[in-house]
Formats: sequence, structure tokens, C-alpha cells
Amino acid sequence: MSLFLIVALPFLGALLPGLMNQAGRDACSGVTFMVSLAAFIGLLTNLPSVLAGEVVTVGIDWMPLLGLNFTLMLDGLGFFFAFLILGIGLLIIAYARHYLSRDDNMGEFFTYLLLFQGAMVGIVLSDNILLLLVFWELTSLSSFLLIGYWKHLPEGRQGARMALAVTGMGGLAMIGGMLILGQIVGSYELSVILQHRDLIQADPLYVPALLLILLGAFTKSAQFPFHFWLPHAMAAPTPVSAYLHSATMVKAGIFLMARMWPVLSGTPEWFVLVTGAGLITMVLGAVIALFKHDLKSVLAFSTVSHLGLITMLLGTGTAFGAFAAVFHILNHATFKAALFMSAGIIDHETHTRDIRRLGGLRHLMPITAVIMTIAALSMAGVPLLNGFLSKEMMLEESTQTVMFNTWWLVPALATLAALFSAGYSFRLIAHTFFGPKRDDYPAAPHDPGFGLWGPPAFLVVLVVTIGVAPFLVEDFVKIVTASVLGTTAELPHAYIKIWHGLVPALYMSLAAVGGGVILVIMHSVLQKIWDATPRPEAKVIFDATISSFVSLARSLILPLHNGAFSRYAAIAAVTIIGAGYFAWITGVQGAATRAPQAATPVALAGWAMLVAATFGLVFLHRNRLLALIMMGIVGLMVSVGFVYFSAPDLAMTQFTVEAVTIILLLLALNFMPNRSPVESTVLHRVRDAFVAVAGGFGAMAMAWHYLLRDAVATPISEFHLANSYKGGGGTNVVNVILVDFRGFDTYGEIIVLGIAALLIYALTETLLNGPVRARLLNRVPDQPRAGGMHPMMMVVLTRVIMPVVLMVGFYIFMRGHNEPGGGFIAGLIVSIAVVMQYMASGFSWASSRLRYPYHGVIGAGVLLAGLTGIGSWFVNKPFLTTDFTYVRIPPFEKFELATAAIFDLGVLLAVVGAVMLTLESFSRLARTAHTKDSVHPMDIDPSRQASTEEGA
Amino acid sequence: MTHWLIVPIILPAILAPFIVLAARYHIGIQRVFSLVGVSAQIVLGLALMWQASDGTVMIYQLGDWAAPFGIILVGDRLSTMMVLLTAVLALLVMLYTIGSRWDERGRHFHALFQFQLMGIMGAFLTGDIFNLFVFFEVLLIASYGLMIHGGGNARLRAGTQYVLFNLVGSTLFLFALGAIYAETGTLNMADLAMRVQMVSPDATVGIRLAAVLLLLVFAIKAAIVPLHVWLPSSYAEAPGPVAALFAIMTKVGAYAIIRVYTLIFPPDHGPTAGMHDYWLMVAALATVALGMIGVLAAKKLDRMVAFAVIGSMGMVMLAISLFTPQGIAAALYYMVHSTLAAASLFLIVDMVKDSRANLRLQATWPVAGAVPTAALFFMAAIAMAGLPPLSGFLGKLLILDASFGNGSVVWIWSFVLIGSLISVVAFGRAGSTLFWKARSIRMPEDVDPGPAPSTLSYVAVGGLLGLLIAHTVFAGPVTAYTTSIAEQLFAPDAYITNVLETPGKLSTPADGGGH
Amino acid sequence: MMLSLELLVASAIGILTAGGIYLLLRLRTFPVIMGVSLLTYAVNIFLFSSGRLTVGAPPILNDSATLYADPLPQALVLTAIVISFGMTAVIVMMALGSYLGNNTDLVNDPLVDDDDDDDASVGNAGDVTPQEGRP
Repeated sequence: MSLFLIVALPFLGALLPGLMNQAGRDACSGVTFMVSLAAFIGLLTNLPSVLAGEVVTVGIDWMPLLGLNFTLMLDGLGFFFAFLILGIGLLIIAYARHYLSRDDNMGEFFTYLLLFQGAMVGIVLSDNILLLLVFWELTSLSSFLLIGYWKHLPEGRQGARMALAVTGMGGLAMIGGMLILGQIVGSYELSVILQHRDLIQADPLYVPALLLILLGAFTKSAQFPFHFWLPHAMAAPTPVSAYLHSATMVKAGIFLMARMWPVLSGTPEWFVLVTGAGLITMVLGAVIALFKHDLKSVLAFSTVSHLGLITMLLGTGTAFGAFAAVFHILNHATFKAALFMSAGIIDHETHTRDIRRLGGLRHLMPITAVIMTIAALSMAGVPLLNGFLSKEMMLEESTQTVMFNTWWLVPALATLAALFSAGYSFRLIAHTFFGPKRDDYPAAPHDPGFGLWGPPAFLVVLVVTIGVAPFLVEDFVKIVTASVLGTTAELPHAYIKIWHGLVPALYMSLAAVGGGVILVIMHSVLQKIWDATPRPEAKVIFDATISSFVSLARSLILPLHNGAFSRYAAIAAVTIIGAGYFAWITGVQGAATRAPQAATPVALAGWAMLVAATFGLVFLHRNRLLALIMMGIVGLMVSVGFVYFSAPDLAMTQFTVEAVTIILLLLALNFMPNRSPVESTVLHRVRDAFVAVAGGFGAMAMAWHYLLRDAVATPISEFHLANSYKGGGGTNVVNVILVDFRGFDTYGEIIVLGIAALLIYALTETLLNGPVRARLLNRVPDQPRAGGMHPMMMVVLTRVIMPVVLMVGFYIFMRGHNEPGGGFIAGLIVSIAVVMQYMASGFSWASSRLRYPYHGVIGAGVLLAGLTGIGSWFVNKPFLTTDFTYVRIPPFEKFELATAAIFDLGVLLAVVGAVMLTLESFSRLARTAHTKDSVHPMDIDPSRQASTEEGA
Repeated sequence: MTHWLIVPIILPAILAPFIVLAARYHIGIQRVFSLVGVSAQIVLGLALMWQASDGTVMIYQLGDWAAPFGIILVGDRLSTMMVLLTAVLALLVMLYTIGSRWDERGRHFHALFQFQLMGIMGAFLTGDIFNLFVFFEVLLIASYGLMIHGGGNARLRAGTQYVLFNLVGSTLFLFALGAIYAETGTLNMADLAMRVQMVSPDATVGIRLAAVLLLLVFAIKAAIVPLHVWLPSSYAEAPGPVAALFAIMTKVGAYAIIRVYTLIFPPDHGPTAGMHDYWLMVAALATVALGMIGVLAAKKLDRMVAFAVIGSMGMVMLAISLFTPQGIAAALYYMVHSTLAAASLFLIVDMVKDSRANLRLQATWPVAGAVPTAALFFMAAIAMAGLPPLSGFLGKLLILDASFGNGSVVWIWSFVLIGSLISVVAFGRAGSTLFWKARSIRMPEDVDPGPAPSTLSYVAVGGLLGLLIAHTVFAGPVTAYTTSIAEQLFAPDAYITNVLETPGKLSTPADGGGH
Repeated sequence: MMLSLELLVASAIGILTAGGIYLLLRLRTFPVIMGVSLLTYAVNIFLFSSGRLTVGAPPILNDSATLYADPLPQALVLTAIVISFGMTAVIVMMALGSYLGNNTDLVNDPLVDDDDDDDASVGNAGDVTPQEGRP
């Protein structure tokens, strides 16, 4: 079967359990089993070629530019691991079917399980190391889901998070390592990389790469000091523990080290790091395991210890070490999975995993007792069981290994570990099954159905078979070892047998077993000492680290982002000023190319007023009415300035805009407090003033710089001056630019205005339909209102000038193309005329005489402008292409008709609509806010107020 | 002549006023028009991208005036891709809006939405720097409206700050434009590219100021540290779908930086050397760090996502700041990813919000429709944290790979890798608390978690995640295309000549180029 | 240096900017809006001055004139003025709405209580009772 299919099957199959969930537990587990079985058989179909020593590879491109391709390869090593993953997977599925209770969502469980299985198979079959990384992280994620499967258990959630954090960290480090490796070799294909041992080991980046990759492997395989996450992962359902923490996930790290063995091993760095970590882990795990009371914790730490053992073997870098390692991987997978499942059975039957509450179970659950005892003895390294064989080889190898020039160091530690491992294994047997039968089990224990004890029994059969007849697997193990060694080393001739003669390993082994027995006998004493001795609790440290990181992060982030706009603005100001200053000082200023023009008294006077008003505004800003007046003066002076510097259109615009703005602000001030209290401290104000002055100088320097220099080339406006009349049909170049050369800007500009009005209207709606309405209604004006609302003089005046103003507006609009003016200014003038009506006779009166809905006016204006633009499509010209002609209707002199004028009309409409809708919205607030207002055009008789107020 | 290039801008600009004019009070009609509009945008985007894919640079001379005297629209590989991305995002966001009935919680949602699209499309398509300002203003003011859609006090306050900060940004933009015109006397980007080359090395202050101010303007848009401060509360307080749409707005800033600092101020250009080509990377690293730390620090889900957005913008900027074709290609791939991922996360946050008292990262009873929502969150979080199998991981690989050979590769790697570890931890904590621990809490009788999110909402989020998957599966072709984009950007001659030498009304070949 | 028009304009821009920044950093919305308006004036003049300063030569074509002020910056400033007018209207309205809603016109958010610690930390998984959000 194609390797693609083998990898894909579990992933595709992951969809099925969820679907079959309703169909019942058997259907759900059945379909899962079938999926794994299919993949398993598919794998077996490749056995012949593997036995023949071939390497099966398939591949398709994924991201060729990056070098990440979907290439798979199957050699002895890959086959070996895939075999374990899928084979034990089958047993686990069968076991889980009977283990999970009815409240557990089986579909969810098996979905995660298959995802995990697929990811694992992907790891061991990947040829591309980036692809391997993808699967690697996928195992972290899917195991996160599996460990946290019982979501209601805090231990489950924490264990899952811890596992994710630790293995995730490793994975990220590995990304770095793999990328470096790929850069050294120039390819991310394992098949290529494995050929370049010398190139890699000679490269200066070898050590960083090694460190990063080992970080990944150690975290995954729970090597010291990253071993602590594994026991906490035991919160998962037992099938998960049996699968992830005996056979597969934790072996991923081992697999990686075996995979990379040919190119990474054999250097002193590799030896010290890998063997060192392995030895420590091996001893540490074994010692701790002896003193745990939870069956699964004992097994967890024993797993840690055995992983250390394998790591240590791989670290030695000798062919025999690799040989022993491979063999032990196989043996450990068999007996450890069996042990976990048995532990699960006991938990299932007695509802406890606490050894102290167990004992004497051999009478009650004989089958389980037999299974677990054999498996445990194998773990202890008792002859005629497979564990013995590989442990012998490990001890053998240890005697050959010299570390730090001390011949006894490695053997001693190895024996010590073996001794403790025998100890906890024996204790497991003794304290669980032997001793007197008790009457205080949480539940009445008895052997479970075949469904539960079948799978472990099968594994135990293997344990015994390999134990007594190792030659059955010897060839296979050698093939696998060969693929680990690659071309770097010769396959060792040593063959697996039970009796090697009186070699040191035998004595060490005997010492271990004997010592183990003693440990069990003295256990109660040792336990007391152990409990008495203080030692670091990894979980506590981990939690403390995480939470300290969190609080550190908070102290860094939260104060900076607490919604203090003043600080945001200050940060922005300082950044901008600083950056500008940097750009200035690092540049060359160059000499001035323009002569300054002498200032006239008029200009000076205007400047003085502007400056005075600005200062006034700054110093009087707490009194809002005064501030507003100052604002008005500033705006006025700016428009005067525009006049002075020959920009009449700007002047008119600035002036009219100023007028409307002031009106808006007045309306707003109506509601807002009319003073700002003094809040900022003197220090703050000094600081702000400092920033402000710096900014001011910056702006001044910039302006000064540009004003005295010419552009690098003639400004494009020369073209506009030259072609305004010829091409735009207007003599007012500014207006022609607005409606023709850069009409698209104007189009956007009126849309902005339109949106502004819509926004304001929408906001008013929301406010008036929300709680604010009530607040407005019960609001007491904080400043006394004038007695007469609508003074007669003003009313009469506005009524009279209304038509005049409208005429002016029309005139300004019409002449706009040739003289200062145009749609925008005209629009503002018209609006001002209407606004005067509002001011004179109040909102109610005016808006009751309102004929057009302003939304419509805005929409019409924007549409008109847009359609004018589209119109030019019909003459096959681009958007907003203008055309014009001169017509002469006697007796009038000839005048111009330009499409631009229609566009300008759109502008006018949009402006009027926008301004009026805005005012409308404000006025609606005002009306709700119970401001005195009368429906009458003028107030002659104040007594009428009363009646209207009740009415209002 | 064809007008397709301008339609993405004009269509919404006509639709929106029409909605206001005709369908002001009929939400149903508005929805129909909105959907038709955004769907049409997708078709347009595809067509334009197809046009540009072979390397042709489409131009559209508004008012028939030749560049640099008139305004010009330019459609090259980059801008058309951004148009398509925007359109696709807009459709899914619109579906969610309708599904969650957000558009009924205030007035003029659809009109503002269309105007928003107009602004974004314009910003991507225009070839004129002042016109870019105008479109920035259009998209900004529309975004103000959308941001405070539905009202609410916290939202209004956040909105006010958002507007104020952006007003400062707009002011800065105008300063920059003034500087640019004063120094070069032109506004057309291609013409600028030519004229910036004319700057003599012994008078560089003017152009340096212009370049730096402009960069700051775009940095505010792209939320680069330290100018990111406006983002967290704005995005957190904005309505879910609006925040999702805003996922593209930060990208507008990124787009502008790519465009302007490859075309006008190339990093190897002497007079402007030593600024963006150095400092942008520093800022980007800071942005990555701050974003990721913020994700860990956040106490509420919405703010957490907002910081994740900042972090991902940091990644984009990091890739851009390499200023190599490979870097830009990686940046573009990651940009698409982060847009989709951020949008889906914001929508999921909105789903969660509706049946919770608040968004604090504390366990309360399971939210309505917890199981599917949790699954979606898991996927989106994986994408955002840059874990396999989703495109975040590939994007990260691309960036790390592109940074090889750069002087500060060690910094880049450690920031990126440690950063993603932090966000993995943070998202793990958040997810397990929000969705797992919730299982252990009984729902009080008196509380009604409200209805589960509508199918349409799930369709929208599912669509976004589906796009992420497609972005992953077809990473090969996509990266190939982004690479071709980057190559086009680093060989701007075709762009410049095409823009400057196409004659228009009254332009004789002599003044065709403006000099 | 001699008192030139350029100096007057440049210093005016500077002073307006300084005033604008100072008010921008105030704590109430009204002065902040005033500050933004000052900045707008400043930048409009700056943008205008990017066409350099010309006295008595408005860009209105007639046969007699030879020199014209640069019309393009004028058009740009006109656009800018209109846009900033729309923006001012919006910000005023929003500030007003925010004031009416929150009953305060402070620009800064009130400090949120930082003591409520989420329990997502790996350590304590004691289930918390669901609590009400802030109104």
C-alpha cells in the first residue's frame, strides 16, 4: 500500500468515529479499529521490501520554494516504529472500547486517538524534516486533546497544558535546529541530510543545531530536566497513558535521536549531552518510581527511567549501543503497555490505583495478577523475559563506556538504576497482588471480561516468547539497527542470547535483582526517610514559573494599555518628534536656494493676532466659551492669511467652514460642562509643555527648511496652470484642479463628508434610543437660558437676507469655475443661510418647515457626482473625464456649460445635505434635552413659554 | 477602453448612497445589495488578479489626465491580490453580520460597510500619494462609524480615543505630504520614484523628513510599536464583525509600507539610507515581543485577540523589514494568513460573547453552542499561534527561512520562536479555561445563555478557517505567486514607465513623463 | 536673520503646532478637540506653504498676469479643510455621546480593577463561581 495512504488513513478515519458515535459504542470502536487495521495491513504489505533492505520513498511537492515537500520514506527504523504505533494502537483501541464508561463521549475519544496515530505515523515515515516538524507539533496538539480528555478534571486540564507547554517548547526549538541543518546541507530531505555526516559535524553551526534538536527530543521523551510533564500526563484515561506514554509519543524523541544518529552522533558533545541526560534520567526516574503510591505514577516514572536507558544507549554512539537501544525499545513497548493496561484494569475494578489500599488481589483477580506479574518481572530484568535480554545488553554496553575518564561511573549508575528498577517492579507485584486479602477495597474486585485482559495478555505472550526465543526477532532487530546506523558504522556481530557466560553484565544484573529484593523488604523504612527528605516538586516550580511570567507580562503590558489617551498621544508625539529629529540630524541640510521675502507690517500684524489668539486659546482653554472665541479668531486670521498669500478660494472655504464649525461646537457646548477643571499636576503640564515646544520647533524648522528651498524638479502644477483653460475650460485653476485634474480627490472628499453626516445621524439615533435619552430628558441646563428665545430683530433680518444669501450661493457656485468660489463654498453658504433660520427661530419651527430629508440630499449629491463621472464612460472616456462647451443665448453673453459643473453641483448638494443633517442631529439631541424652545417663529409674549413647555 | 480597474471603488461608492437613498428603512433590501456588492467584488478581484498575474501593470487615468498631472489607478500583482483578499474577507464578514443580526443594532451599517470597502479598495489601487490620503480618510471615517455601531458607553469611549488618535495620524500624513510636495513637486508615486533619485546627496534633509514621516503614518495604521497603542481597546470594543473587517485595515498600512518603501524609497537609496532599512526591523521585533507578551497578559478574550493581531503584524513587519524579495514574499503569505486568522478569531469571540456575562478569561457555565465553537476556537488559535498544520506555521517557516543571512538572524529567530511559545501557552490557558473548565460548572437555573450562534455565523467562520486550510494546502502555488509579486516590486521599471509614459488628454510626448 | 514672510509663516506653523500638541495632552475631550483643530490649522498652512509663498498672484488665469501662486497645494489644502471639517464634526458628536453616556468628558478610561485575577494559571484549578461582568 502506498505510504501516502498509510499516513492518510488515520487522518481520514478520524472523521468516522464522530459520525458513528450515534450508532453505538461497538460501531464507534469498530470503525476505529478497522481504520487502524487497514493502515497496519498496508504497512505490512511493505514488509518484504524492508526485509530486503530497500528504502521505499514517495513524494509530492508542497512548498518547493521553501523546500518543504510531502516526501515519505520507509526503511527498517520507520517500519519498526510504525509497526509499534499501529500494532499497539490496535490493542489500545480494543481495550479502550471496554475501558471507557458510558458517560464518556467515545466518538470524540477515538477521533483524537486517530489524529494522534496519524501524526505519529507521519513522524516516523517523514523523509522531509520540515514535514517531520509538522507531524511533530501535531502530536503535541493531539496529545493535548487526549490528556485533557476528561475536561471536568483539573488534573487533566493542567497536565494537558503542561505537556503542551513543554513539548511545544521542544518543538519550536527543533524548528530552529532543523532549519539550520537544512541550511548546512542545502536540502531538507533526510535521505540527503543523512549522507552528509562530515559536512554537518564540521560546520560551526553544528553545536547550536544539535542543542536545538536535542531540546526537542528530550522534551518529547521526558529526559531530565524535562521529565516532569510525563507523570502529570497520567491524568489522561489509562488507554491514552498506555498508548502515549509507553509505546509511542514519548518514543518520538527516541526515534528522532535514532533517525539523526548517523549525522549527529559520535561527537563529544553528543556523547556528553545524550548519555549524560540519559543516565541522570534513568537513575532519577527509577528512584522516584520506587516511592510513588499511585500505580500509574510508578509506571510513569519507570517509563521515564527506561527512556533514559534508551537515550543513554544511543548516546554512546557505538553500533552495539544502537543495537541494544532498538531491542529495548521493542521490549519496553511490549511490557510497559501491558503493565499500563493491567493498572487500568485494577483501577477499573477496585476504583483505586493507590498501592497502599491494594494487596492480596491475586486471589480475587488471578488473570490480571499473572499478566501484570510477568510484565513486571520483565521490567525488573528477570531472565527468560525480554526485559532481561536488553537490560543485559545495556549493562554490557555500560561497561564499555567511559565518561569523564572514570571507568566506573557509567556502570555504577547503570547498575544503580537497574537495581531501583528491579525494586519498584517487585514492589508493584508484592504490594498489589500478594499479602493478605483485604476487606476495604473501594469496590468488589474481580477479573474483567476478555475485552480488557485480552490485549495485555497478548503482549505478555510476546514478552515471554521473545524472552525465551530471542532469535525469532534477532534478524528483524538487526535490520532496524542497520537502518539506524546507516553508512556510518558496521552492524555488531554480537547476537542476542540468554546466556553470555560469566560476563560483568551478569554480576551487575544479579546485583540489581538482589538489591531490588532488599529494597522491597526495606521499603517501609526507606519510604519514611524519603517522605522526610525535602525535595523540589517539579509541578510547583513549573506553575510558579508560568504564573510569575504571567504577572511579569501583566506588569509590563497592562499599565501601558490602560486606555489613557493622554499617554497614547504623548507616546505618539514623542515618537514622531524623535524620529523627525533623527532624520534631520542624520541628513545633510544643504544651502538655501530661495531668497526670503521681506515681511510687511500688515503681515506682521496678522501674525501677531494669530499668535496672540493661539496663546489665548492655550491659556484660556479651561473656559470653553472663551476658548471657542479664540478658535474663531485663529481661523479668521488663517483665512486672512490665505487671502494675503493669494489663495482666495482657500480663504472663502476656511471662513465658511470656520463659521459652521463654531456653530457646531456651540451646539455641543450646550450639553457639555462649560469649564475644564484643573487636574494635571504642574509636573505633567511642564512635561507636556516641553513636548509641545519641541514639536513646535520641529514643525517650524521643517517649514522654514522647505520654504527656502526649491523642489528637485518643476512642480507638476505648471502643467495645471498651462492647461487649465485649454483642457478644463476654467480660469480658476484651483477649482479646475478640484473638479477636473484631481476631481477624484474631491469625489472622495464629499464622500467623507457624507459619511460623517450619516455617522452622526446614526449615533444620534443610537443615543436617543438608549439610556442616554432618559438622562437628556431629566437634564437640568447648567447655564441659565436667555429669556427671549428668538429675538425679533434677528428673525426679521434672517428672513430678509435668506433669499439674498441663496442668491449669493448660486452666484458663487456658477462663477466657481472661473473665479473664486465653486460648489463647496456655495454649499456652505447655503447651509449657513438655513442655519440662520435655525438659530433665529429654533429647531422645531425650522425643521417643521423642512422639505427635503437630508439623507436624500446627501445620497443624491454623492450619486450625482458619481454618475457624472460614470457618464464619461459612455463617450468611452475614463471616469470623471470632463467636457465643456460655450453656448450663447441672446441677449446674454455667451457662457460656459461644463460637465464639471454637474459634478460640482453634486458637491454642493452633498455639502448642504451633510451640514444640515449634522445640525439636524444635534438639534434633535437639543430638543430631547428639554431646552426651552417654542414652535413660534418669534417670541413676542414670553408667557407663551409656559404652554409650549408643557407641550414639549 | 476598459474601466474594470476602477469598479471596485465605484461600485460601493454607488451602492452606499443608493442604500441610503432608497432602502434606508428596509434591512432586507440593504442586505441583498450588500451581498450582491461584495460578491461582485470577489468576481472583480479574481478578474483583475488574472489580468495582473502575467506581470502586466494596468493603469487607469482618471479624467483622462496623464500621470503625474492627474490621479491614476494602478493594478499590479500586489494591489490586485489585496483587492481580492479584501473582497473575500468582506463577503464572509457580511455573512456573519447578517447571521448574527449585528446590522440591526444600529443605523446605516450596510452603507458604512460599503464606504469602508470603497476606502480600502481605493487605498490599494491608487497610484497617487495624496489620493491615498483621501482614501485613508474615507476608510477611516467609515471605520469610525462601524466601530461605534450599536453604541454602548465603553464602545463610545474607546471610539472617541480611536478617532482622536487617528486624527493625529491624518495630521501627520498631511505634514508628510506637504514635505513630499515641497521637496519633489509631485504626488504621483511613479513620478516620486523618479524624482527621489534626483535628490542630491548634499541636500538630503528634506527627503529624509518626508520618508520618515510617511513611514510613521503607515506605522500607525499597521500598529507597529510604539504607535500600536490605539489598537487593543479599539479592536476589543468594536462589534465582532467590524473587528473582523478591521483585520484588513492594519494590512493597509503594511501594504503602503511595502509599496512606498520598495518603489519610492528603496532601502539601497543613498539619501534615505539608515532609517527604515534599519529601524523598521527593530520596531518589528518590539512589535512581535509586545504582541505575544500581551496575549499572555490579557485578562479578557477580546483583548487577547487584539494583542495577537499586533503580534502577527509584527511578524509581517519583520519579514518586510528584511527588504529582500524572499522577505516580501514571506510577508505577503503571512499577511493573507494573519488577516483570515484574526478575522475568524474576532468572530469566534463574538460568538462566545453573546452567552457570557463578560469575556474575562474565567470559567463560567458553558456558552451556548459550546462544542462547535470550541472546535472553531481550537483551530483558529492553532492558526494564530502558528502551530501546524495551518498556514501560520508555514508562514513562520518562510519568515525564519528568509531571515537567513540577515545580520540580526539570531534576534529574529529567538523573538519569533519564543514569541510563538508564549502565545501557545497563552492560548492553551485561555481555551482550556473557557471551554473545558466550563464543563465542570453547573448552569444556574435562572440564567439563560441565549440561543446558539446561527448557522450562517458558523458558515462564515467555517469559511474563513476553510480558506486558511486552502492557504495551507496550496501553499506551494501561493508562495510561488507571492514570490512573483515580490519580484515585480523589486523591478519597478515596468510600473514606472507604464504609469508615466501612457499619454493622456493634452499631453504631448514631451511632457509625458513630467520632466 | 531678517524678519521675512517665510519666518512669520514658519513660526506661525510652529506656534500652532506647539499649542495643538499641548492641548492634545489635556485630560478633557473639549481641549483635546481644540488641540486637534490647532494642529489642523498648522498642517493646512504647512501644506499650503509647500507651494512656497506668493503675494498678490492668485492662480486665476488672466492675460496680464505672468506669475501665479502654485495652485496645486491650494487645491490639496481645500480638500484637507473639508475632510478635517467632517472629522471635527464627527469627533465632537462622539465626544458628546461619550460624555452623555459615561457622564464624564475625561478622555482617559477610568482605571480598571486589576485585582480580579483569572484562574487559568496551571496551578489553581479550583472552579470559580461565574461572576457578573461590569455593567
